[in-house]
Amino acid sequence: MESLAIYAPRLVTTKEYLASGHRACSGCGEVLAVRLTCKALGRNVIIVNATGCMEIVSSQLPYTSWEVPWIHTLFENTAAVASGIEAGIKVLSRKGGYSQKTKVVAMAGDGGTMDIGLQALSGALERGHNFIYICYDNEAYMNTGIQRSSATPFGASTTTSPAGKISIGQTSWKKNMPAIAAAHDIPYVATACTSYPFDLMNKVKKAMKVEGPAYIHVLSVCPTGWRLPSDLTIKAGRLAVETGVFPLYEIEAGKYTLNFDFPQLRPVEDYLKLQGRFRHLSKEVVAQIQERVKAEYAKLKRKVIQGS
Amino acid sequence: MEKDETIEIRWHGRGGQGAVTSAELLALAAINEGKFAQAFPSFGPERRGAPVLAFNRISNVGHIRVRAAVTNPDVVVVLDPGLIYITDVTSGLKQDGIVVVNTPKSLADIKSELSGPWKLAVVNATVIAREALGIPIVNTAMLGALLKATEILGLESLVEPIKERFGPRAKNNIDACHRAYEETLMAELSVVGQGPRKAFETERLLSWQELLPGCVVIEAGNAKQYRTGDWKSQHPVWDQQRCIKCGICSLFCPEGCIGQNKEGDFEANMYYCKGCGICARECWTEAITMVEET
Repeated sequence: MESLAIYAPRLVTTKEYLASGHRACSGCGEVLAVRLTCKALGRNVIIVNATGCMEIVSSQLPYTSWEVPWIHTLFENTAAVASGIEAGIKVLSRKGGYSQKTKVVAMAGDGGTMDIGLQALSGALERGHNFIYICYDNEAYMNTGIQRSSATPFGASTTTSPAGKISIGQTSWKKNMPAIAAAHDIPYVATACTSYPFDLMNKVKKAMKVEGPAYIHVLSVCPTGWRLPSDLTIKAGRLAVETGVFPLYEIEAGKYTLNFDFPQLRPVEDYLKLQGRFRHLSKEVVAQIQERVKAEYAKLKRKVIQGS
Repeated sequence: MEKDETIEIRWHGRGGQGAVTSAELLALAAINEGKFAQAFPSFGPERRGAPVLAFNRISNVGHIRVRAAVTNPDVVVVLDPGLIYITDVTSGLKQDGIVVVNTPKSLADIKSELSGPWKLAVVNATVIAREALGIPIVNTAMLGALLKATEILGLESLVEPIKERFGPRAKNNIDACHRAYEETLMAELSVVGQGPRKAFETERLLSWQELLPGCVVIEAGNAKQYRTGDWKSQHPVWDQQRCIKCGICSLFCPEGCIGQNKEGDFEANMYYCKGCGICARECWTEAITMVEET
C-alpha cells in the first residue's frame, strides 16, 4: 500500500484555505475547483472574487469560508481591482512598507469573465500586471438560475435559450476565451478541469511562478445547471476532455502544449447524453456538434505541432 | 373545504425536490376549480439540497390580499423524511392543523416522534416516486397525500396542471399522485408526547443584534460553524477492507470534509457532508457506498 505511486494524501496538502460549511449545491464542481486552486495557491495570496456563485456561497453574512485575504468585487471590475491591488503592492514594496511577494489572484465565473468583465480583463492583461486570472466556467449564469452566457455551448437548453418545438437551445458557439487571452501575448494561458486535479493544481503553481499576467480557464461542472445527477460531476468533466469538447492545453510564451492527447477522441454523444440540457438534441445537431469539435481539435493540434 | 374560508399551506422540502413545483401545481388546480389561489417559494441563497419553504393560499371567498409568507398554516407538508428532525416543521401550525409527512417509518413510529393537537398523515412517497418515476422526486406523490389528508380539492383537478407541466412524463406523475392518495394513512396525534421530542440539532445562528457594526466578520473561515450536513438525503459508508487508501475521495470532495482518522482510515465529516455521492462514484475499488438517510 505504501509503495503506491499515486497516493493523494501525500501529494496534496491537507490544509484547506476554503473552509467547509460553504453553501454550494451538493456535487458542485466549481467550489471543488476553488478548493483545489486554493490548496495550490497557499497562504500568501490576495483573492479578488467577482460576483457569482462562488461569492454567494462562500461569504454569507455573518460567515465566511475564506482563510486567505479575500475581496468581493462587481462583475465588471474584477481584473481592474486586481490590477489596483497589484499596483498598490508594487508601490508599497518600493517605498519599503511591504516586503512580501504576495500574488494577486482574480477569480470570476464565465459571465464575469467572458461577458461583463471582458474589457477590464483585456485592459489588465494588456498593461501586464503581475497577477493570475482564473475563470471558473460553468457555461451559464448559474447563480441567478441558468441564463445563457457567451460560454454556453451550442445546443444547450437554458432558461433564456430554452429548447422547444422550434428552438434547439443555444444557437451560437462557445466563445473561445483562452484564445482571446492568448491574443494579448501574455506569458501563460492554460485550460484545466476539476476532473484532472493534479493537472489543475500544477497549472496554478506554474502560473504562480510567472512574472506578468497568467490566465487559467477551468471547466467547472454544474450538476444543477447541466441537469445531471450530482455524483456524475467528475465523470462529466472527464468526458468533456476525452471527447475533445474541452481539450486541456497550455500556451507558454506563445508555445502550445496539449496536456492530454488521445489517439482517438470519444464520440461527443457520450458527453451530451449524460446531461439534461442536451436531452432534446436531434441526431443531426449532435453530428453538427461532432463536426465542430473535430475541426476545433484539429486546429488546436496544428498549433501544437507548429509550436505557436 | 368549508365554504367561506382561506386555507394556508406550508411546504417543507429541499432545493431540487420540487416543493415549489408542488405549490404551483396545487394553485393551478385550485384556480381550475374556480377558487382563488397563491403559490410562492421562500429561500435564501442556499442551494440544491438545502431546506426550502413554499407556500399556498387557497380561498373560495374572493381575492387574497395577503402577500406575506405563511406563518400560521392550516396544513404543513414535509417532502423530506429528515426535515422533521432538523427544523421545527410544526412551527405556528394552527390548532386542529394537519401535518402531512413523507416517511419510510410506520405510523406508530412517527407518532412517537411528533406530538401536538394536530392530525397526522403519512405516506412513503420516496418509494412511490422511485417506482412510478424512477427518481426520488416526491412532489407529485405528496400532492396526492395532501389531497387525501385535507380534501381541499378534487384529485382530478390536478390532472390538467400536471399534464401541462410534465408533458411526456405526466402519466407517471399522475400515477404517483394517485398511488400516494390511496396509500396515505391518517391518525390523530396526542397532545402528550409519548417519547421525548427529538432535540433539533441545528447549530445556533447569530441574530442581527450580535453582528458587529459595519457587518464586520472578524474570524477567517468561520463558516465552519455552519452545518451543511442537514442537506443530505444519503451519506457515504466506507468498506475499509476494500479501501486502498489512495485518497481520491478526499481530493474530489467539494466540501473538503473527507479526511483520515487516527487509524488512517478515510471517513467523511457528517457535519458538512451534503451527500453528493462523488466519492462513491469515483472510488477505484468501489469501497464506498451511498446509504439513504433515515
